Amino acid sequence: MRRVLFSDYLVLCLTLLYVAAIWPFVPEILNPSNLTDIFLQVLPLFIAAIGLMLVLMVAQIDLSATSIMATASVVGASIMTSQDGYLAGSAWAPLAAVAAFLAVGLAIGALNGACTALFGMPSFLVTLTTMMFFSGAAIWYTAGHTSSGSSIGALPPAFLALGYGGVLGIPYAAIATAAIAVGVHLMLSRSLFGRWLFAVGLNPQAAAISGVPVRRVVIATFVLSGLLSAVAAIVYTGRLEAGTPILGQRILLDVIGAAVIGGVSLFGGSGKVSGVFFGVLFLSVVDNGLQLLGLSLSAVYAIKGGVILFAAVTDAVRHRVAARGG
Amino acid sequence: MSLDRRQFSLSLFAAAAAGALPGAARAEGEKTIALMFDAFDSDFWITGNTILKAKAKANGWTTLESISNRDQNKQNDQVKAMVERKVDGIIFIPTDNNAAIPAIRTANAANVPIVFFNRPPAPNDNKYIAIQADNRKIMQITVQALVDIAKKQGGKYKACVLMGDLGDNNAVQRRDGALDILDQNKDLVEVVARVATEWNTDKAFAGLTNALQANPDINLLVSPSDSQDAVIEQVLKTAGKWHKTGEEGHVLFSGFDGDQNGYRLLSTGYMDVNGVQNLFYEVDLAYGAFKDIWAGKQPAQMLIDPGFAISQATLEAKREDMWGYHVWKEKNP
Repeated sequence: MRRVLFSDYLVLCLTLLYVAAIWPFVPEILNPSNLTDIFLQVLPLFIAAIGLMLVLMVAQIDLSATSIMATASVVGASIMTSQDGYLAGSAWAPLAAVAAFLAVGLAIGALNGACTALFGMPSFLVTLTTMMFFSGAAIWYTAGHTSSGSSIGALPPAFLALGYGGVLGIPYAAIATAAIAVGVHLMLSRSLFGRWLFAVGLNPQAAAISGVPVRRVVIATFVLSGLLSAVAAIVYTGRLEAGTPILGQRILLDVIGAAVIGGVSLFGGSGKVSGVFFGVLFLSVVDNGLQLLGLSLSAVYAIKGGVILFAAVTDAVRHRVAARGG
Repeated sequence: MSLDRRQFSLSLFAAAAAGALPGAARAEGEKTIALMFDAFDSDFWITGNTILKAKAKANGWTTLESISNRDQNKQNDQVKAMVERKVDGIIFIPTDNNAAIPAIRTANAANVPIVFFNRPPAPNDNKYIAIQADNRKIMQITVQALVDIAKKQGGKYKACVLMGDLGDNNAVQRRDGALDILDQNKDLVEVVARVATEWNTDKAFAGLTNALQANPDINLLVSPSDSQDAVIEQVLKTAGKWHKTGEEGHVLFSGFDGDQNGYRLLSTGYMDVNGVQNLFYEVDLAYGAFKDIWAGKQPAQMLIDPGFAISQATLEAKREDMWGYHVWKEKNP
């Protein structure tokens, strides 16, 4: 039982078994086009979940990830849209917009980190507040930049390519996601900052005594989380072909759930990029399967919620077993 | 990987149990239609879904349903899933008019006709049909009728304008329609409060309560949807402002949608005007478009439901065209 609990590949096995179980009902799940769709769905969610993983690893939480996406989406879109965008028609517009996406993510991440680490505020409260504030701000900003008020469309093709375009058959989003995943994996496994992250998550007091700059580490994780949320927003906005103030409004549960299912501890001090990938893949496959089955929204929510609850309970059990010296 | 065979078998059993879900019935009918809603947050959509299903059944068609819970990215993915299921047509109610364009492209690539029901996409070069209630126009004639009543009554008015989710184009159009008329009548009506409900009754309750506390003399109210009617009734009752037309302290009140609550409040004298979307007509337009496309004809891209305003004075004459009246009549035989 303990080996099952601690296996890195448990979630991947469950994903494959889930597919095998529902395949007789909806053989379409294994259609190449459907598998491609699942793969493309996974990418931005994976990027956002990696960001959240870093925050969870230092025993904090970032509930503002989806409002960062929404704010970055409308700010970026307002720069490059051909409908009265700040840089409408300019060849530099897509590049400037991408910079704006990233700047918004960094700024809100820094705000979250500063309030949490410097003022000693609970990250739950800080990020809940910024989530509410920036969700509203995104709608207000959109209303001031478009006649319809609901979203900002007419984005340049060069930017839209970031959503579905690619090189040699490999989507740009996949290349960016792989680079981020490898980068974060190397940071966690090979760098001093990675070791600081684990140390702060496991015991911040002990880490501080050992000379780890705990506050700076916590701020950095929020900044990285904001940055990665902004990168996810770039991919989503490219796919939706519009900057929308409700971007990602409904995926917070998926982002947190994927990280927790992937073995990231809510108590801090543990997390793996590969685990988060398996978590995101599992949730995306479950979601896709339920869509193909044509189940009601309430059933989809109940099943997904149950899966995430099960993962959280498993995390608590793992934590207890590990504390006993397992 | 450190699972032994027994553990693997146990995991397989657990996953099989989870996966043993009721499969969606395979279409037996001649055609399969996907009904793709973003949310069931008002009677309008619930009744619309009922009428769509009933009329599909009458045509001998099978329906598959999905709800995206106001997540346009998910809904675009759901379109892909419906295409995988080989549906013959898609009725689509998007959350965002710009971000729905990739879904049209998906349907076009699979040669599946897609009809936007009551929420058209942003203008684009792809193939789609849009059934559109002219939200701005209907709200304009509704609020104009309310202002005409106010002029007839005389006096000055302080208005509270409730708004829906401003990420939703319909909500934006309704807000603009209301403000178009109120801005033209500033000498008569002063807008003292705007409440963003986000189509959420809790937010509507809190927002309207706060507005009335800050401005107790509010005596004109514009609602963006009849889904908010029950909340408005509750708040006005609590504030001691729930009176029928003609009674002292009556708040001039307009609704929108034409649902059963709208009819009830009009017929009992609490609501003065309602902007009605003709839901039966819209369903007929949508299914007529499918039939035309399947027959090789090309219907007009934009099919308009002009809607109408109904007031206490015109209730008897116009109520047969009000979908909410039929729902109300069914529940109150």
